Amino acid sequence: MLDEEKVAFFLASRLIARGNKGTLALTIMIIAMVFVNLIFLPSIISGVVVLFNQQTIDYSYGNLVIEPRSNQIYIENVDQLQQKITRIPGVVASSPRYTAGATIVHKGKSTTPLLYAINPEDEKQVLKIYTKIISGDYLSPGDTDQIVIGYQLAGNKDEKADRIPSLGGVDVGQTVDVTFSNGVTRQYRIKGIINSNSFSVDSNAYITKKELESVLGISNRARQILVRTQTTGNEEAMRTTLMTYGVQEKIWTWQEKSADFLASIVGSFDIINLIGNIVSLIIAVVVIFIVIFINTVYRRKQIGILKAIGIDRSIIIKSYIFQALFIFFCGTLAGGVLLLLVLQYLTASPLVFPGGPVAPVLDTFLVLRAIASLLAVSLIAGYVPSWLTTNEDILSAIRG
Amino acid sequence: MIKGRDLFKIYGKGTVEVRALDGVSVQIDRGEFIGVMGASGSGKSTLLHLLGLLDRPTSGSLSIDGVDVGRLDERGRTLFRLQRLGYVFQDYALVPELTAEENVYLPSMVRGMTSRECSRVCGEILTLVGLRDRRHHFPGEMSGGEQQRVAIARALVNKPSIILADEPCANLDTQNSRNILELIKRLNKELGQTIVMVSHEGWHKKYFDRIIYMSDGKILTDDHQENGPLPEPA
Ligand SMILES: Nc1ncnc2c1ncn2[C@@H]1O[C@H](COP(=O)(O)OP(=O)(O)O)[C@@H](O)[C@H]1O
Ligand SMILES: [Mg+2]
Repeated sequence: MLDEEKVAFFLASRLIARGNKGTLALTIMIIAMVFVNLIFLPSIISGVVVLFNQQTIDYSYGNLVIEPRSNQIYIENVDQLQQKITRIPGVVASSPRYTAGATIVHKGKSTTPLLYAINPEDEKQVLKIYTKIISGDYLSPGDTDQIVIGYQLAGNKDEKADRIPSLGGVDVGQTVDVTFSNGVTRQYRIKGIINSNSFSVDSNAYITKKELESVLGISNRARQILVRTQTTGNEEAMRTTLMTYGVQEKIWTWQEKSADFLASIVGSFDIINLIGNIVSLIIAVVVIFIVIFINTVYRRKQIGILKAIGIDRSIIIKSYIFQALFIFFCGTLAGGVLLLLVLQYLTASPLVFPGGPVAPVLDTFLVLRAIASLLAVSLIAGYVPSWLTTNEDILSAIRG
Repeated sequence: MIKGRDLFKIYGKGTVEVRALDGVSVQIDRGEFIGVMGASGSGKSTLLHLLGLLDRPTSGSLSIDGVDVGRLDERGRTLFRLQRLGYVFQDYALVPELTAEENVYLPSMVRGMTSRECSRVCGEILTLVGLRDRRHHFPGEMSGGEQQRVAIARALVNKPSIILADEPCANLDTQNSRNILELIKRLNKELGQTIVMVSHEGWHKKYFDRIIYMSDGKILTDDHQENGPLPEPA
C-alpha cells in the first residue's frame, strides 16, 4: 500500500518538476489570491469592529453605563454614588451626565440637537472627546456661558455641505441662543468645536453640568453615569462587582448599549464576506479542477497505457491528488507571504475609516479555516477529474 | 504457457454485430516467438488485447501460466499485467516527464523494488536494448526507434512470462523496424523470452518462429497446429 503512495509521489514530483511551469505558477498565484481573499476582508471587518468598539467606549459610553432605576427620570444623590463607584476596585473613573433636548439658534438658523451636560474633569477621565477639539478649547469646570459643539452641528456656510440641520458654519467666539425644555433661553459663546469622527458626538452640543442644573433648578442628579474600567472585555464581571458594592441603579455594558447597531453592521458584513468566500472557493475549485482535468485528458492515451502495463488506477489518481496538494501548499504559502506584505503595507499606511485608522485583525481561527477550506477544495479538485479520466476503459483510452 | 479456447469477441448486436474474434483457440508455449499476421480488421489486435488482459472475451476461456484469468477481478488483472505481462504498443507512450531510466523502472517501483534494485535492473535492461548511455535522456530527446526500445525495456523490467507487441514497428522506417525486430528476436533467443507480436508487414515473417494468420476473426492457419510448412495466405 505504501508503495502505491511512493510511486504516486514519484510521478507527481516528476510531473511538477518537468511539467509546464507557466500553468503551474499561474495556478499557484490564483490559489494564493483566493487565500488572501479568504482572510483579508474578514480581517479588515474584524479591524473595523475593533475600531468601532473602541470608538463606542472612548466617545459614547465608556465601559459601563449606569441609568436611573425603573420609574425614575434621574439618578439621585449622584455625588455619593459617584464617590462609591470610584472606590470600587477596577474602576478608573466615572462621569455623570445629563442629556436634554434643546433648541439652538444662530442668526436665524435653528436646530434641535442633543445637549449633554457634563463635569469636564470627570468626563476627561472617562471619554476622549476632549482630545478631539479642532478649534478653540474644551469646557472648564467653572464655565457657565460657554458651549462646545460638534463640527457637524456647527455646519458649513454652504448648506449643501451639511449632513444634518446645522448652525450654518458658526465659529469659535460667536454666540448662540439655547432654549431649554422648560422655556428658559440663554446665550452661550462657542468655546470649542469637536471632530471625533463619532457621529453622535459631532452632531451634538456640550455645556457644564453645573450650568444645566442652574437652568433646570436641580442638583446632585444625573441621567446617566459613564464608568471607565481598568480593562476592556470584562464588563459583565464589573457589572456584578458594582452590584455587589450596592449600586442599585440599572447597569448596562457598552455592548448592550450599542448592540443592535453593531450586530446589524457586523451581520451584513458577514453575509458579504460569506458570499465573497464562497465565490473565491468556487474559483479555486474550478481552476484546480480545470488544470488537472485538462492535464489528464491531454494524457488520456498515456494514462491508458500506464494502466495497461499494470499501474493501478489508484496510483494515477493519487499522483494527481499529490499535484493538487502541491498547488495547495505553494498557493497557501504564497498567499501567506502576500497577505503579510499587504498587512505590512497596511500597518505602514493604514486604511482610515471614519473613526480612525483600521488595523486588520488576523485571528488564528480565520487562518486555519482558510487553510482547511483550501485543502478540502484541492483534494476534491484533484480527485474528481483524475477519477473521471482514469475511469475510461483501457482500450478506448489507448485508441485515443 | 497460454491456452485460449473458443474465444469470441462480439461487438454490437443483431444484424450489426461484428465478430472481431469468431471462435479462436490458441496455445502458446514458453520461449516461442509468434507473429500474428493478417489483413487489417482481421482481429489481430483483439486477440492480443484478450491475451494481454486489456479486454474480456464475450465467451471462451483463457489461462496463462495455469491461472484462469477470466476469474480475476479488475485489481487482480491489473496486478497480473504488472507481474506477468509486458506490453509494447504501436506508439511508445512513454511518460514525457520521465527519463528513459525512470520510464523503465516505473513498473518495478510499483512492485515495491528499492531504488537501488531498480537502477541495477534498469541498467542491465537498458544495456540490453543498447540505450545505457542515454538513460538520462527524456523521450522528447530520442528518435522513434529509441523510444520504442525504451518501451520494450519497460515491458521487460518485471521479467514477464510473455511480451505482447501490437505492431511495434508501425511508426518506424525500415531501418529502425529492422533494429527493433532484431532486438526482439535477440530477447527471444538470449533470454528465452516468450513473444507474441502482431504485424502486417510481409517481410517481418522471417523473424518469427511461428506465424498465426488471421482472417475475419478466425485463425486461418497456424503452423503450430498444422505442424507443416508455412502456407502463403490468399
Ligand atoms: N470497440 C469496437 N467496437 C466495434 N467494433 C470493433 C471494436 N474494436 C474492434 N472492432 C472491430 O473488430 C474487428 C477486428 O479489429 P482488430 O482486432 O482491431 O483488427 P486488426 O488489429 O486485425 O486490424 C474489426 O472489424 C473492427 O472494426
Ligand atoms: Mg490492430
